[in-house]
Amino acid sequence: MVKKSRISPIFRRAVSHIFTKPATTKYPFVKPKLPADFRGKTIYEIKDCNIIDIGTGPKGLTLDVSSIVGSNCRVCERDCPTNAITIVEVEGGKKRPQIDLNKCIFCHQCVESCPRGAIKSSDLYELATTDKGSLIEKPNPNAKETKS
Amino acid sequence: MQNSTVDMIGLIKSTFGDKVQIQLGALGAAAITANNGLHRDVLKTMLAADEKTGITAITGLDLGAIIGVYYHIHTSNVFVTIKTEVTKENPKTQTIVDLHLGAAFHELEVADLLGVVFEGHPSPGHFVLSENWPEGIYPLRKDVKANEIKLVPTPASEEIQLPENKRLVKIIIGPQHPALLEPEKFAVTVDGETVTKVEPRIGYVHRGIEKAAESRGYMQDVYLMERICGICNSCHAYGFVGAVEKILKTQVPPRAEYLRVIALELNRLHSHLLTLGHACLEIGYETVFQYFWRDREPIMDLIELTSGNRVYSSLMTIGGVRRDLKDTDIPKIKTTLEELRAKLPFYRQIYENEPTLKLRMKNVGVLSKQDAINLSCVGPVARGSGYDVDVRKDEPYSAYAEMPFKEIVYTTGDTWARMNVRMDEVEESINIIEYAVDNLPKGPFRLELPRSVPAGEAIHRLEAPRGELFYYVRSNGTDMPDRVKVRTPTFANIPSFLKTAIGESIADVPANFVSLDPCFSCTDR
Repeated sequence: MVKKSRISPIFRRAVSHIFTKPATTKYPFVKPKLPADFRGKTIYEIKDCNIIDIGTGPKGLTLDVSSIVGSNCRVCERDCPTNAITIVEVEGGKKRPQIDLNKCIFCHQCVESCPRGAIKSSDLYELATTDKGSLIEKPNPNAKETKS
Repeated sequence: MQNSTVDMIGLIKSTFGDKVQIQLGALGAAAITANNGLHRDVLKTMLAADEKTGITAITGLDLGAIIGVYYHIHTSNVFVTIKTEVTKENPKTQTIVDLHLGAAFHELEVADLLGVVFEGHPSPGHFVLSENWPEGIYPLRKDVKANEIKLVPTPASEEIQLPENKRLVKIIIGPQHPALLEPEKFAVTVDGETVTKVEPRIGYVHRGIEKAAESRGYMQDVYLMERICGICNSCHAYGFVGAVEKILKTQVPPRAEYLRVIALELNRLHSHLLTLGHACLEIGYETVFQYFWRDREPIMDLIELTSGNRVYSSLMTIGGVRRDLKDTDIPKIKTTLEELRAKLPFYRQIYENEPTLKLRMKNVGVLSKQDAINLSCVGPVARGSGYDVDVRKDEPYSAYAEMPFKEIVYTTGDTWARMNVRMDEVEESINIIEYAVDNLPKGPFRLELPRSVPAGEAIHRLEAPRGELFYYVRSNGTDMPDRVKVRTPTFANIPSFLKTAIGESIADVPANFVSLDPCFSCTDR
């Protein structure tokens, strides 16, 4: 009569894994391959934003329909779940959004909401820094904050 | 089953006649408005007529001069809401704990947050709010102002009532304890090594999300609700979105429903794999824990592939889903699921034959079917005890009516059965996702809906990985909800732990407890 093996299957599996490739990856030496639509840092392009700018579209002071789209919209500020987006004043009395990535939860609702595509998604995810101020995306460096 | 069901609404109509108003189709199958006091008789009638009657949740809401108390009741075939109300001057009603044990914690929560006094409750006291919360301020009432809340000094030490019997020792487990990953406290009375009594206390991470939702727009609330729980985030977002869509009376496109099912099942897959591993960690079997978590990682990658982030999918939105599934991603989903399916027999074998697991799980923490019904247990805990509740089958939502899957029920009711329910559900989830991916309807995946929601109220129930998740949303016609109520599955399952721990060894407490797949951060909200 053959004596039944008492070696646990998990023990066999564990021993066999000594000789196989590890399941972990060697980050940061090997970067992970991200899917195409990864939600990383939001990139904000001030020139595409157009709030409170009626008439000063690409054709100067003429009122064309395309320039009104998104005028005075503030949709990004309204939709941001964490109030990471505030509207600040830039030169010329214009108002532009300022994104605080410290508060951002990377839901990308602003990317979806912006009617002019001024906020874009990117796959940048290594945002760790020792300077919190560098994570505030300001429309201009000396912007005065006027909460309205 | 079929011949034992009764026409509950017809029964109430014939028993109470004009004394109750019945509004069909509202808040479940019907909303029954009964005077304070009469609601007990309605519940008594329901409990007598159907043995599977239980409490899903109790919602309290501030309606101006009065406080509405809504009892959401499930029976074996219908879901109804009994509405009653108390005045703010005299917010007293009688407890229903004497009728149904499962209501105890729900009443404590309503008492804490809205100041309704449930006369005759067996163990009144703070349950959600902290000990230093001032008397007479109830956070979910509309007239509360944040700057008026002055916390009173914390009592120097909680009065610990020592057991009279000198043989008994009281051990406080938590709020910080190596075996419990989240802050909750259990005061366990032990006689030698045997547990004789467990007193729970939650609320250590209460964040007031229900209140916060009242001051944010519907679009913002979807993300707020999603953050109640990291593991079942899609379920929470869908619970809220589903309730809002019911108020809006919209039907989302079939493709969106299928994509939602995929997201919800991916949630279930990674949650179950996490628990199956975590249970092994609690009994000191770290090798299996590591293997489960290794195999969970490809599922996280799938969530990242389909939604853009490995934890918070942010996929649900009012009117559908936020992004479509690309045809080029489907082969990767299928191969990953196929690989996971191939690994399952090995894990089944481990759970079946490994002496360590058998010793620590078989016949440990046995919950009988009758207790599971009496305590209104949900999810794998109820199904492990032979109580067949699964919202996906009982009241199919989204596209679940079209999905082929089995409801997993084990009858032994021990820790081992609860874990094996999850093991089998992993396989069913794989089947569901494969079916959904193969039969994905063509068409739009999103509707553009108005930002403001008409006045109304709705409930939404769904089967989260841990059990039934319940949402109640009330809208007053503005762009912010008036009240959002969340009943998480763990909240309904804590009483079962209090029952099963008694008579067991103190060493079995962690493994028994983890078999509920507890999530206190979502229970506290």
